[in-house]
Amino acid sequence: MNSTTAPNNRFASPEIGLTTAPATAMLKLTDIEKVYQTKTIETVALNRVNLTINKGEFVSIMGPSGCGKSTLLSIMGLLDEPSSGQVEIAGRPVTAYSDKELAHLRNQKIGFVFQSYHLINDLSVLDNVELPLLYRSSVSGKERRQRAHAALDKVGLSARTNHFPSQLSGGQRQRVAIARALAGNPELILADEPTGNLDSVMGEEIMDLLMGLNRHDGVTIVMVTHDEQQALKTERVIRFFDGSQVS
Amino acid sequence: MIRHLFTLIWNRKRSNFLLMAEILLSFFVLFVVSVLLVNNYYNYRQPMGFRSDNVWEFNINAGQDTVARRAKLRLLVQELQATPGVVAITGTSSNTPFSFSTMNTDEYRYQGKPVGGYTDRYDADDDMVKVLGLNVVDGRWFDRRDDAAGRRFPVIINQAFAERMFGNEAAVGKVLTNEKKDEEWHVVGVVEAYRSGSDFAANEPAIFHRKVLQDTSRFVQQQVPELLVRVQPGSGAVLEQQLVRKIKSVTKGWSANVNTLEENRRDKMKFLVTPLAALGLVGLFLIINVALGLFGVLWYNISQRKAEIGLRRALGATGNGISGQFLGEMLVVTTLGVLGGLVLAVQFPLLGVFGVASQIYVQAMVLATVLIFVLTAICALQPSRIAAGIQPAVSLREE
Repeated sequence: MNSTTAPNNRFASPEIGLTTAPATAMLKLTDIEKVYQTKTIETVALNRVNLTINKGEFVSIMGPSGCGKSTLLSIMGLLDEPSSGQVEIAGRPVTAYSDKELAHLRNQKIGFVFQSYHLINDLSVLDNVELPLLYRSSVSGKERRQRAHAALDKVGLSARTNHFPSQLSGGQRQRVAIARALAGNPELILADEPTGNLDSVMGEEIMDLLMGLNRHDGVTIVMVTHDEQQALKTERVIRFFDGSQVS
Repeated sequence: MIRHLFTLIWNRKRSNFLLMAEILLSFFVLFVVSVLLVNNYYNYRQPMGFRSDNVWEFNINAGQDTVARRAKLRLLVQELQATPGVVAITGTSSNTPFSFSTMNTDEYRYQGKPVGGYTDRYDADDDMVKVLGLNVVDGRWFDRRDDAAGRRFPVIINQAFAERMFGNEAAVGKVLTNEKKDEEWHVVGVVEAYRSGSDFAANEPAIFHRKVLQDTSRFVQQQVPELLVRVQPGSGAVLEQQLVRKIKSVTKGWSANVNTLEENRRDKMKFLVTPLAALGLVGLFLIINVALGLFGVLWYNISQRKAEIGLRRALGATGNGISGQFLGEMLVVTTLGVLGGLVLAVQFPLLGVFGVASQIYVQAMVLATVLIFVLTAICALQPSRIAAGIQPAVSLREE
């Protein structure tokens, strides 16, 4: 990452997080560029993106395939580094954060929902949902179980705790993925085409679930989607084309 | 996290089964090799019970000369003894130290009870204690008092014999018999040890029977005994030639081969170490194959689990955490394989397969366990580092 601002307020302890953040912006991207470079070709995936997502917003990102939506989501989720520009989470620039600090931030603040669910097939539903809590040393095994059960209850899958992903339908798998994101009690959920692999009925169910989380629990959600109808249900639609924000 | 790793391994037990089986077999091979190594090392650390430095062995061949052997031998010993540089001479049976000849028997009984296993038997005269520097810990060595022993022949035993036959009781004064009770042996002394086979020989029960050197009639088939000669330190080829010349001149035609006990010791060592080294090499190649197999399996595992690695990174795992997880998984699989191997290994002391002390098996189990864990950790290290370096955004997109 290129940045002129050095981080000055890192986490004091693993569980404290960014509790002193004063801004209402949950996520702020400034002049973000992402360039993939090979020996012969330079591909610009994102071109000077400036974007602010406020706390409690439900934003959708739309655009044709290959326009940089998923790359943007990866940068927002601190899974990828921009070639230049600055990322701020809750008012704090994370440009120079170490691998450990970024991992901690992802674990504490961000929940992920993927198009292809990304459940671990060899773990039960309950074990899958527990995963983010596994990386929090302060959470006991008992508490992990309780929070995983509560998250599964929220998505209506409390009867499936001992099932394995292969025994579930696509919609149920996505619910498990949402429960996994919720178990960590994140302030921000990044959803990459969460209904992309589902039929319209199941897609609607998942959208209702996400909207409920946004409205009732105040979770900030950024969703990448190809579905215009679903995008229109969100508070704000951001459109991309060839790596640039067009609206 | 440990519980999570066990859950993951258990749920993947089918795919991990072959890996566990490979580790179990590797452990087993390492255990068997370790038993041999530990046992040999343990024996090597035991006292030999005698000194082989500055002792020459004369293998005398009387050929067809059967005339007055006893008298010639008496004269020969006197002449050799009188040679400057010679400290002491003893005659013994063909199972001299480090030779390839052994004599053993299970005939000894005390109050009807056998010693258990075989006892190495040696013929010795009154001067063997001086020549070999034997350490008499109880009673005495043979001397002229034993000339009047009658039918109850004097014998000297080592401590291993005494402990096995008499336990904590004093051995000196005890009378041994054979199974038919038509022969009796009177224990007159106990030596610390006599591991004459090699540096790796076990400290097994040993017994010395008194044979007066000059009395060739008491050696088997009137053979001339082997002569062991202790010489002054620094004695060399000149003394050797002198002694050989004396043998020829005194006996008129007998020949002699001379070796030092140290030469015999080295030859025996080479003879024993060569097959051990060959076995070790075979074991090493096997272990290298296993290591390459483990390395390949882990490499493949990681390439198959890139999406999972990306997911875990997204959920809060650090690169080092991912590396630690793969290493941990490998160690859990190793633990399960080793546990299976230990169940097999425990049968060895229970069944007494190699006939060595239980502590040898225990030490071999510990050694094999440590080696297999080190091996798997080394094999897992590089693939785990690769896993740690996988970019989460890329791996999540790959699925």
